[in-house]
Amino acid sequence: MSAPAVIDDRPRGSGGMDSGDLLRRLGTAGPRYLSYPTTEQLTADFSESDAAAALAQSNLSGCDLALYVHVPFCRHSCHHCACLRVTSTDTRHAEPYLSRLDREMVLTSRHLNATREITQLHWGGGTPTFLTLNQMGDLIDRLDARFGLSGSRQRDYSIKVDPRDTDVFTLRHLQALGFNRLNLAVLDLDSHVQQAINRHQPRVLTEQLVDEAHRLGFRSLGLELMFGLPGQTPDSLAETLTQVIAMAPARLSLAPYAHRPERFAAQRQIRREALPAPEQQQALFDRALTLLVEAGYVHIGLYDFARADDSLAIAQARGTLTRGPGGYSALPPCDALGLGVGALSRLGDSVSQNASTLADYEATLDAGRLPLARGRRLTAEARLRAHVIERLMCDMRLDLGALGPAFGLEAGRQLLPALARLHSAERDGLVTRHAQQLTVTPLGRVVVDRLAAAFDAHAA
Amino acid sequence: MPDTAIGRRRSLLNETRCQTCSLSSLCLPLALEVEDISQFDAIIRRRAPLKKGESLFRQDSPFTSVFAVRSGSLKQVTTEGSGDDQLTNFFLPSELVGLDGIDEERYPGRVVALETTTVCEIPFDRLDALSETLPELRGQLYRSMSKELRDDRRMMRLLSRKTADQRLASFFAGLSERFRRRGYSPYSFRLSMSRADIGNYLGLAVETVSRILGRFQTQGLVAVSGREVNILDLDALLELAEEEGAH
Repeated sequence: MSAPAVIDDRPRGSGGMDSGDLLRRLGTAGPRYLSYPTTEQLTADFSESDAAAALAQSNLSGCDLALYVHVPFCRHSCHHCACLRVTSTDTRHAEPYLSRLDREMVLTSRHLNATREITQLHWGGGTPTFLTLNQMGDLIDRLDARFGLSGSRQRDYSIKVDPRDTDVFTLRHLQALGFNRLNLAVLDLDSHVQQAINRHQPRVLTEQLVDEAHRLGFRSLGLELMFGLPGQTPDSLAETLTQVIAMAPARLSLAPYAHRPERFAAQRQIRREALPAPEQQQALFDRALTLLVEAGYVHIGLYDFARADDSLAIAQARGTLTRGPGGYSALPPCDALGLGVGALSRLGDSVSQNASTLADYEATLDAGRLPLARGRRLTAEARLRAHVIERLMCDMRLDLGALGPAFGLEAGRQLLPALARLHSAERDGLVTRHAQQLTVTPLGRVVVDRLAAAFDAHAA
Repeated sequence: MPDTAIGRRRSLLNETRCQTCSLSSLCLPLALEVEDISQFDAIIRRRAPLKKGESLFRQDSPFTSVFAVRSGSLKQVTTEGSGDDQLTNFFLPSELVGLDGIDEERYPGRVVALETTTVCEIPFDRLDALSETLPELRGQLYRSMSKELRDDRRMMRLLSRKTADQRLASFFAGLSERFRRRGYSPYSFRLSMSRADIGNYLGLAVETVSRILGRFQTQGLVAVSGREVNILDLDALLELAEEEGAH
């Protein structure tokens, strides 16, 4: 069956826009609504029994599970990094962490119905490919022993790959472990930009992995790029994108660099003067958007792009796209269990997050407790808001009048005040509104998280 | 001849004749009439056994002969420009070593014994001359080359598309077939090559080879103990080897 046309009015950049809204948005990082409430709204009074209750409730629903595993190690220190990570060149440093992960799995699996299907698995970081091939194999074995991994063709098992410490043998090993999707961290192919972020990564490293992944039949390949990096110009980014498009990845992400040296020590290596000015940030994204759309990529939303024949674009056209802690997915809604330091979970009616420092994470587990730091149980109203935010971010449209069957007749009315908060976005051409129906314009797709914030009870 | 170790070995070497060799039905003389075999036998040079790790010839050394493996096994290793070693072939008894050196008149890789190995050296100029008078010999030479071409193309398909599981299944199914052809059990044999060698040959990390061997054992496809291999389900292995692409 062929998918219907995804969007007719393909975005051609935001050149005509004089609002500062988009500019401001691109320059600052707000919540991307991988969960609602967002991690900022989680509170420390979420106890282990709350977590057990969430897992029990999740069991009752019987829905599929997505597992996320955070591997916080990197062999190299990139200046732009805002990830939770530890830099080391010794893979033995990962051993104590892997033991803690196993302990967390044991503690968690006690509360989990063992028959639930693990339809999604994602290893992020840091750099999961920091691990040795045997460490990766052990981790997969432990995940399988505790949760029972899936061999289904429909599964989505992905891993973030650093092309600098990955070769074709690693890819074949990953495939043997059951991974069927790869996310290659590329950032930028321009050597000056790479130098500015301390990430020497010749194009050929990425190309040979892309070629091998295609040969081996990995279901889908995603490349991660970034804009707003030091030294980037619209021309240099266009050159990078041209090379990337030639590699024909099924998915692409182009995330903005957020300079917060006060929070991320590595970023102090980047001088503010080296960064593109705010108006140039927008020029960068505009240029990128135009190139990607011309090359046949669909702008799914925010910073995510997919080829029109990729399952993400097809799911979006059908209205079945989902969004969770792992980002957009073409698979049906499921609960998400995060493992490892800082990992986010969405189980039953709760959202929770693990301790976000290695010391806290390890100490809690060593005391025999789940390494929870924060969480929140959703009220009926919060569930409604979570649903609305997810649908808006996935479908790029929303009908407040159609919420009745699931959430009660008053549901739409409850959210009417949110519509008022979208007036300026409407004026800026980011969203259109007919009665209780919202439609995100092509231009609005990149700031759909900001539009979603209108439905966030906690957003400023 | 004095009854010493060296003497015994010499007499053994001298006793070995194509006419009495158990592999003659697989080797080059396969198609020859009995009276022609002695002509062929006359050009063969018997050599002292190679010890494990000893080279039969070096990479890029001048091509003079092809070699038939009489016992033991060898690997061919080509050192790439980058200095990396690529294992390009394994040779088992009755198989011919060195056919890939004919056109450029040098051997494209070094060939090393994996265990104590005996080979029969067949000087190529004499083989060439003899095959003009013995068309059956020429035919057999062509068939050997053709088989090597076919095997190489299969290997290319394997290296370009197959998953690690499929590669290893192919490898075992192939070995099993080679043992079967020589009249040995296709189900039970000893690997003379290390897992690192197998990995290098199949384009896999040694960790991947070990992991998949473990998986094959769990799945009841093979039982491996050290280097002893027992094929438990050859049909399943063949099926896996023939599968295309990933899941």
